[in-house]
Amino acid sequence: MANAETDAPGDGLVPVTVLTGYLGAGKTTLLNRILTEQHGRKYAVVINEFGELGVDNDLVVDTDEEVFEMNNGCICCTVRGDLIRIVGGLMKRSGRFDGIIIETTGLANPAPVAQTFFVDEGVRAKARLDAIVTVVDAKHLPQRLEDSHEAADQIAFADVIVLNKTDLVTPEELQAVEDRIRSINRFAVIHRTERAALPIEQVLNQGAFDLQRVLQIAPDFLTDDEHEHNEDVTSVSFEVEKPIDPEKFNAWIGALLQEQGPDLLRTKGILSYANDDRRFAFQAVHMIADGDFIGPWKADEPRVSRIVFIGRNLNRPRLRRGFEGCVVD
Amino acid sequence: MSETVAQFLLGTRGVHRDLAAFVVAARFDRSGGTAAFALGDGSVHLVAVNDKQNWRKFAVHDGAALALSPDAAPAGFISGGDDGKLRRIGSDGAIADVGDFRSKWVEHVAAHPGDKGKGLVACTVGKLIVLFDQAGEKLKELPHPSALTGLAFDAKGKRVAGSHYNGATLWFVAAKTDSPRKLEWKGSHTALAIHPDGDAVVTAMQENSLHGWRLSDGQHMRMSGYPAKTQSLSFTRNGKWLASSGADAMVLWPFFGGGPMGKAPIELAGGDGIICTQVAAHPQQEMVAGGFADGLVVLADINTSRILPVAPPEYGPISALAWSADGTQLAIGTESGFAAIIDLSKREG
Repeated sequence: MANAETDAPGDGLVPVTVLTGYLGAGKTTLLNRILTEQHGRKYAVVINEFGELGVDNDLVVDTDEEVFEMNNGCICCTVRGDLIRIVGGLMKRSGRFDGIIIETTGLANPAPVAQTFFVDEGVRAKARLDAIVTVVDAKHLPQRLEDSHEAADQIAFADVIVLNKTDLVTPEELQAVEDRIRSINRFAVIHRTERAALPIEQVLNQGAFDLQRVLQIAPDFLTDDEHEHNEDVTSVSFEVEKPIDPEKFNAWIGALLQEQGPDLLRTKGILSYANDDRRFAFQAVHMIADGDFIGPWKADEPRVSRIVFIGRNLNRPRLRRGFEGCVVD
Repeated sequence: MSETVAQFLLGTRGVHRDLAAFVVAARFDRSGGTAAFALGDGSVHLVAVNDKQNWRKFAVHDGAALALSPDAAPAGFISGGDDGKLRRIGSDGAIADVGDFRSKWVEHVAAHPGDKGKGLVACTVGKLIVLFDQAGEKLKELPHPSALTGLAFDAKGKRVAGSHYNGATLWFVAAKTDSPRKLEWKGSHTALAIHPDGDAVVTAMQENSLHGWRLSDGQHMRMSGYPAKTQSLSFTRNGKWLASSGADAMVLWPFFGGGPMGKAPIELAGGDGIICTQVAAHPQQEMVAGGFADGLVVLADINTSRILPVAPPEYGPISALAWSADGTQLAIGTESGFAAIIDLSKREG
């Protein structure tokens, strides 16, 4: 537990975990587990359906999801106004808590929650998105994917996927459903569970949005194209060994997000800029992008730039050419 | 160092304390006899203006206090908290429940003295404005399309307004049948003020701008150019100027001579790149107090632009500023728990 704390970025920002998943997938069960486990930490929990939680020892905030469009020129930029107010209010409280957990409603699109943490200056100054955790029901996921957009979106956005109710399916069905998840989002960490039972350190304080871990997972799946399901949502990643020219990258990614923002659910990258010893971390949700230098490259670490796209209508050759065109001459 | 401090009124005319929690709001009661500071640890600290060495702490909310207003009565206060409680605090520290909204936060409170004991108290709870009479009896609940982000009575106490997504709503408090006036403008409105003459409502917006409606003819007013969100709006007593935070100066929009439409605002105490976080117009004169993100507090004369330094940039971002009704006392609070009262009354001799 102490390790998880020291692993987290030391930026003084409160980590925020977003918990998504369909009704009945096991979200509330997972939340109850997090809140009742004796971990000695204090979490503020933002929920929509008050009364389902079986605990009262933590700070629980009841809210209505209020999504609104920003008038900032991004056609797909929506944010959660209620979260802006709640994070602002929570930051006034004395006795800091160790994190905020936001439970979304079953049908929620995760984009507005994620974008809130990119767009609002007041929120950004106090809190950072730690990870999006999506709980899916092993038995019913295939059906959900057939009848809704949101099920695929929730998987696409996830940093961590809790593949729950594994006891209700055969090993073959379980493998099939995991393959389907992988074909949508090959970069998320998947935990198989029964009754949402898993150690909370596999869910909280992931530091997923500082990207390193997510991208380190990527290589295992990069060559794994064997299970194509013709999913609506897919993920691709590319890497280049030559250093990146920041100006070229900014021009390319800016135009790409502008043009294809609505299709690009999540974009993440770790870049090696020419003449800089620090790693540059880039991420975007739809058209809203953010980037910053994170720690230096380690001496024994290959300085490889890598970018990941999760979304719809991904044109792999075109994206590859675009990214490869960003290297220094 | 002592020389530097002495240039600020805090050193010569101030009494201050470290209250060790985020100062959410500061207010004086209507009589001006008591100052109150509501904190992020749920406590409210009371200080009698004639006994400023004696700070009294009262546990009022189980959680954080979120809002504070002078009560409708001459003495005492109304506070709201994230424990869902709307409470009345006497100037002696006696605490009574006015409302209990359980898991919903009470984010904004307001009160109006009315005529002869017919005062009003209002609070926001999610999408509702809840209105009480002076005795604390609930009068009505006014529903809105989305959560409320600002609340104010007009100067006469005849109307109450709330800001929310896509605009603001204005209600006649005494109406038998409620038919509110809906002021519409797309976007997220995050704070609200009503002009002292009752003919304009102004909101702050998510996109670092202000929006206003002139009620007589429905004219829209757009005021933009802020580098940060405006958290604090304050009209001068005569309504000539609207002071606002959100820029690296106090920004004042003229509400005369056809303004603010087509007019440039004046900027006071700017130039060093530090964002102004709080403004409070003087209740009597054309002066405005401004607090900044580095802790600096200044008093500015609007007509001459003369600046009087009040508190040095040392005690954390300014989160609360309030004047006593007679304008002789200024209360200051910061995010890091510093609180002060500055005495600006004329000194004998």
